[in-house]
Amino acid sequence: MSVLPRPSPRRLAGLWPYLLVAPTVAGTAFLLLYPVLRSVVISVQHFRTGELIRGGAAFVGLENYQDALGGPEFWQVVGRTFAWTAVNVVLIMAIATPVALMTARLGRRMRLAVMSGLVLTWATPVLAATTIFQWLFQSRLGVVNRLLVTLGFGSFEDHIWFAGGASTFAILVALVVWQSVPFAAITLYAGLTTIPAELEESARIDGASGAQIFRDITFPILRPLFGLITSLEVIWVFKCFAQIWAISKGGPDGATTTLPVYAFQVAQSLHKYDLGAAVSTLTVLILVAVLITHLRRMLKHEGEIL
Amino acid sequence: MRYRLLAATGLLALAAGLTACGSPSPSTAAPGSSAGAGAAPVELTVWVMRDSFSDAVLGRFTTAFRQSHPGITLDIQIQEWDGIGQKVTSGLASNDAPDVIEVGNTQVAEYAASGGVRDLTGKVADLGGADWLPGLAEPGKVDGHQYGVPWYAANRVVIYNKDLFAKAGITTPPKTREEWLTATATLDKGGDQGIYLAGQNWYTLAGFVWDEGGDLAVKDGATWKGALDTPQALAGMDFYKRLQALGEGPKDSDESRPPQADVFAKGDVAQLIATPGAAVAIEKANPGLAGNLGFFPIPGKTADRPGAVFTGGSDLIIPEASRNQDAAYEVVKALAGETFQRDMAKEMSYVPNRVSLAGALDGDEGTAAMAAAAAGGHATPNSPNWAAVEAKNVIKEYMTKALTGADPASEAAAASRTIATILNTTS
Amino acid sequence: MTAVETRPRPAPALTAKRSRPRPALRRLARRVPLNLAALGVLAVSVFPVYWMAVTAFTPAAGIQSDTPAFWPAHPTLAHFATAVRADGFWLFWRNSLAVTASAVLLSLLVALPAAFAVARLRWRGRRAFALMVFVAQMAPWEALLIPMFVIARDTGMLDRLSMLTLVYFMCTLPFTIVTLRGFLAAIPPELEEAAMTDGAGRAAAFRLVVLPLLAPGLMSTSLFGFITAWNEFAFANALIIKNQDDRTLPVWLSSFANVFGTDWGATMAAASLFMLPVLLVFLALQRRVTSGLISGAVKG
Repeated sequence: MSVLPRPSPRRLAGLWPYLLVAPTVAGTAFLLLYPVLRSVVISVQHFRTGELIRGGAAFVGLENYQDALGGPEFWQVVGRTFAWTAVNVVLIMAIATPVALMTARLGRRMRLAVMSGLVLTWATPVLAATTIFQWLFQSRLGVVNRLLVTLGFGSFEDHIWFAGGASTFAILVALVVWQSVPFAAITLYAGLTTIPAELEESARIDGASGAQIFRDITFPILRPLFGLITSLEVIWVFKCFAQIWAISKGGPDGATTTLPVYAFQVAQSLHKYDLGAAVSTLTVLILVAVLITHLRRMLKHEGEIL
Repeated sequence: MRYRLLAATGLLALAAGLTACGSPSPSTAAPGSSAGAGAAPVELTVWVMRDSFSDAVLGRFTTAFRQSHPGITLDIQIQEWDGIGQKVTSGLASNDAPDVIEVGNTQVAEYAASGGVRDLTGKVADLGGADWLPGLAEPGKVDGHQYGVPWYAANRVVIYNKDLFAKAGITTPPKTREEWLTATATLDKGGDQGIYLAGQNWYTLAGFVWDEGGDLAVKDGATWKGALDTPQALAGMDFYKRLQALGEGPKDSDESRPPQADVFAKGDVAQLIATPGAAVAIEKANPGLAGNLGFFPIPGKTADRPGAVFTGGSDLIIPEASRNQDAAYEVVKALAGETFQRDMAKEMSYVPNRVSLAGALDGDEGTAAMAAAAAGGHATPNSPNWAAVEAKNVIKEYMTKALTGADPASEAAAASRTIATILNTTS
Repeated sequence: MTAVETRPRPAPALTAKRSRPRPALRRLARRVPLNLAALGVLAVSVFPVYWMAVTAFTPAAGIQSDTPAFWPAHPTLAHFATAVRADGFWLFWRNSLAVTASAVLLSLLVALPAAFAVARLRWRGRRAFALMVFVAQMAPWEALLIPMFVIARDTGMLDRLSMLTLVYFMCTLPFTIVTLRGFLAAIPPELEEAAMTDGAGRAAAFRLVVLPLLAPGLMSTSLFGFITAWNEFAFANALIIKNQDDRTLPVWLSSFANVFGTDWGATMAAASLFMLPVLLVFLALQRRVTSGLISGAVKG
């Protein structure tokens, strides 16, 4: 594990770095690590409303985990969470990449306009965004239904989007993609600006098409950046909770219940805090498993990827 | 300045972490008892649900209480129904809880069983509990101990806009379901809505189902079965659908989102299904409707019997973690006492908590409508897991599907299976 | 999203800056589809926020009318008046602002030295520290509600805005470190070294040379932290129980319908006011935030 400090031209008092990170370490220990440990402890106890109020929870071993893993519901939710994450992340990357490529080719003014629009979207608070989307898709007065009716789709008169599982899921995807594309697009655009124009120029002289240039030059150079953005988006989408809870609370009929929503439901609505904690622990384990390759590479690069 | 604040927060962070590590296990703080009534001035926090009472009733109570109990001030906080379970649980689990909490009669059992509620068994006589309404007293009782104190009861009636009825030429309120549908269709003309019935108003659906002789779930020996897919329950849903279509109630929402009293208050809705107390909220939102509201019992299948209704109501609890136990008891005693009961019965048209006070309701139109139906009062399935069925919105989501074109029979079967699964889990 | 999907593939022979001069007309012809696509992207990204603002300014009759108007013919402030007059709006708005601002400042104050240590110094444990920060971003915050509640209760921190501040500080800290490290790494160390050989101490060099260059980074980072904390609902709802005057805006607005019913005009006005601080920060710092995001991301 130990990497000896390379001799540096700037001689450092050995204690300084540790002093500089001490507040972060202390904060993380008390405000994150300790609550996480408490959560893990709860997951191996019988911890319901009574225990929350009176204390004195009994140790039950892995009972809650058996409970969670034993039922069909958990696995359905896991599957849905993967589908949710995949659909969102693929859409985000598939939209953000061309938007970034486009932005790089725009004139100065147009580029500024597009960037401002993206930053504005990125900066829209989640709570405002969810409220706006509920308004856009409102059945009677919502602008989406009215536009569809105007365009000749009369069946959308008073159509209730949030009644069906599939359409609620789709609206949530639209919302999350809408909010996530800006970060990915802006970051990618920033990466594009670092690629020397000569590389593309010479490839073009050699007769390469736009698609070839992207495949052979742009993408390989930006591969680490793509990796970083994709894994950050995977984390964010996988953990996404506020949007789903605000719009559908996981319904209708569980069609939008992903793992974080499920854990919250079990803990807060059904008051099974122990089972909820077990589901949360499993959620983190699954997420870590998904990102393990990325983490391993990060270890190798000694945090450079951060 | 800013830095001082930051430094302070930083220190708090450390302090929080350190003491947290030091304390061995979570335990309920000892209920403080130093501040008794009449001692040092105390401020009590009382949680009352939204639209339970008008500001006037609460205002009169606060003033009278201050006069009879100098040294105790009341902070009455209005709570939203949305997410209330989590909120009350947090309150009970905290070490400085609200002192008195209103809880619905379907939920009080769960809190009482949790161990965070003060046992008032010894005070039942002092509170006049000899003739409490059983529908409120029973749920507040666990293993022979009384935790919840009955507060008030109410069931649903139809509130109607007299002007709109007159405009449509309807002179007598409907007595049967068929008359009701006809009248409502007549009222549902032009810009007016015949009835505002949100798609997920499941207490109302339950009434229709009971009318048909069905139920939400039935116990067969030791196991529960969801009963939404029985022919009776499906007939109830069918009637709900026909009625719901005669207005613009949202099919994907319940009566609290948006608050249906506010919708009715706009003046273009002819009928609303609610407890009579909603009339107070309506008149508050639109004083122009004062004196223009009428009441009649939800019509049944035949004229001789009004529709079945869910018996709703609330109990009062004192959290163990309240720091002002004695003063809190004084508040509960006053709220459950005759003066307040008579006052609120008159103003809100609620049923008082004691049978002997029923006379307080004489001559009130809303109460008459309610009393007519009270004989047909029902309760939700008696299982500790029923709260989970409500929390998972099983019935509400089924209703939305049935109303928006899905096949009611197959959706009802699916919902019944879910209900059975939830009710048969051992907790 | 449809507008984005229909954008043309980037035209091949187009480079923005260094292409040899070509006939202006042909360039224009090629620019048209590109700019149209850009307009499409712009429209899709801005429309929801635009629609919120339009609704907030449209009189109730206009919102109810059968044909949606894309520009309020008779703008009104009535909805804003309704929103602002609702019980406690400003109180909760102020609470939110206080909690959010202190959390962001605290987080910057703690993150900056840590980011510096990771970006500039070599020390044993640096790799583990970087990994910890990355993993900390995966924290399932909603799952920590109950442990956090128990901890707050046992330390007497329930019902206090300072507890919320601490939670928000921790929520934003990992991302703040990650991005600040990116910005710092983009600033050549030689600049500092030059200042130091001119006789400045390390602290002075940092303050005089690095900090000004870091300004855009600090701003876009704090904007992110601001948004995260400004939005937070679950903890605010669980940790503030009895002191209702200490509630924050998201808790109060969590169910707009509870407050405004079917009044979508007032709801959108309240949403606009909710977004206002973010908008103001954004407008004031727009250039720097945009350029900050870019330069931070490059080395990200």
